[in-house]
Amino acid sequence: MPNKAKKGKGGLFIKTLVFGALSLSMYYLLFTHTDWVTSEYTKGGWHAAYPVGTALVFSFIHGTFASNFLSLIGIEPKGSGH
Amino acid sequence: MKRVILALVVVLGVCFAASAVLAGGGGPPKNLIKGFILKVNPDHTILFKKDVTGEEITLVLPPDMETKDIPLNRKVLVSLKTIDHEITNEVKRISIMFINLPTSKVIALLVVGLIGGLLSGFIGSGGAFVLTPSMMSLGVPGAVAVASNMCHKFPKAMVGAYKRWKYGQADVKLGLVMAASAIVGVQIGIQIQKYILNHWGNAGSNLYVSLMFVIVLVVVGTYVFYDAYKLSKGGKEAETTKIAKALQKVNLPPMIHFKQAGIKISLWFTLPVGIATGMLAATIAVGGFIGVPGLIYVIGASAVVASATELVIAFVMGMWGSIQWGLSGLIDIRLTLLILAASLFGVQLGALGTTYVKDYMIKIVMGAVMLIVSVSRGAKIPGYLADLGLRAPLTPQTTALLDSVSFWSLVAALATAGIIITAAMIRGMLQARAEQG
Repeated sequence: MPNKAKKGKGGLFIKTLVFGALSLSMYYLLFTHTDWVTSEYTKGGWHAAYPVGTALVFSFIHGTFASNFLSLIGIEPKGSGH
Repeated sequence: MKRVILALVVVLGVCFAASAVLAGGGGPPKNLIKGFILKVNPDHTILFKKDVTGEEITLVLPPDMETKDIPLNRKVLVSLKTIDHEITNEVKRISIMFINLPTSKVIALLVVGLIGGLLSGFIGSGGAFVLTPSMMSLGVPGAVAVASNMCHKFPKAMVGAYKRWKYGQADVKLGLVMAASAIVGVQIGIQIQKYILNHWGNAGSNLYVSLMFVIVLVVVGTYVFYDAYKLSKGGKEAETTKIAKALQKVNLPPMIHFKQAGIKISLWFTLPVGIATGMLAATIAVGGFIGVPGLIYVIGASAVVASATELVIAFVMGMWGSIQWGLSGLIDIRLTLLILAASLFGVQLGALGTTYVKDYMIKIVMGAVMLIVSVSRGAKIPGYLADLGLRAPLTPQTTALLDSVSFWSLVAALATAGIIITAAMIRGMLQARAEQG
């Protein structure tokens, strides 16, 4: 049982790390190209797909990182066994 | 019930299409153009290049505008004067679209995002009432602040709604039913706004918005807070209100069973709550302050289910609004993502916080925030009354004082929410750990 718990925690740690790295990379990529981004994203029309799509992708990756991070540091909903 | 859901999806699809065609669903004002100022002419006019089309036009500057401060070759938003609803070529205001982001502003956005997210996850409100004014106080033009916040609101609401659905709190069917009528409510709210703007101008519009804000927030906020206070002292569980019980008894087809909320009620009784949510969202940018109390006291959902389900509504409306603002090219994605960086933590913390607190705690936070924010908005009213000539003009000192009251009470609302939620969560978590140990 303790081994299973350790493996579970280990798996969570790796997931947190992976999604954290992905999130950081995306933020870095975007904020080092702000000229292009602010220009292209605000052209209107079909370009609306850029900000809406970016917000969705970022929220999936960063949201998953946040969720895993909170679980890793032991902050879980009541009754989840932690 | 699959047919009801299918019908709702069709309704939503129709609403999306209609708003794209009518372009009246909360997009930017028509007298707002964006582009680049190429040069300032000696005759106090500017050569302006419109974004996307590249069309070059000459615009007339107001006589009192200093030409040395006019930003050249930076993307700007120009609002044009209107005469009898006709847009002129006279400039009213020039705003830089993309503010500089020094570390201090980045930190401010992260802090506001975190606490705004916490509030969203806990009470279901979208958070626009703090996020939009906060961005504007950092120098972001109003339209860009509204657009960027909208683009942050829907993914944040999506994450929050998903978490609270996993905890068994969000009733997705109820959320979609309400969202459909809320979108109709937004259209009605916008038409009312336009009517007031056309007849009484900007000052009248500002006064209307502030009065609605104060009336709704004070009346509903007091009721919610008082209800929560009674429950916290009495120790009893919250009961369904008499109104809700009576409405649930009425058999008016189509009757819909909302499984998660544990309610069976006629579709017709959900419409006024949804429409009111949309109308208020269009007017004061917070639908949740009517939506959540409406779900609790009129439909009969618990505070936990109401606040969770509101996030579903916020997601749908936020997505719809973002598409419209995106079509007009007004979303500053840097602001959206900086707020999201922190709010995605905050919303999940707020969501799981609801599993550790009693039902009435959600009402306490909601009531407290509503009452403090009503002070913030109320402080603006004397200024709008003076602009309309309904009272004597304010002295600069009075204006500065009232602006200060307005700003700091907004800060107080955020701080209060943050402290109450965090304290309640910590207490609940410690209690749970003690019970386990």
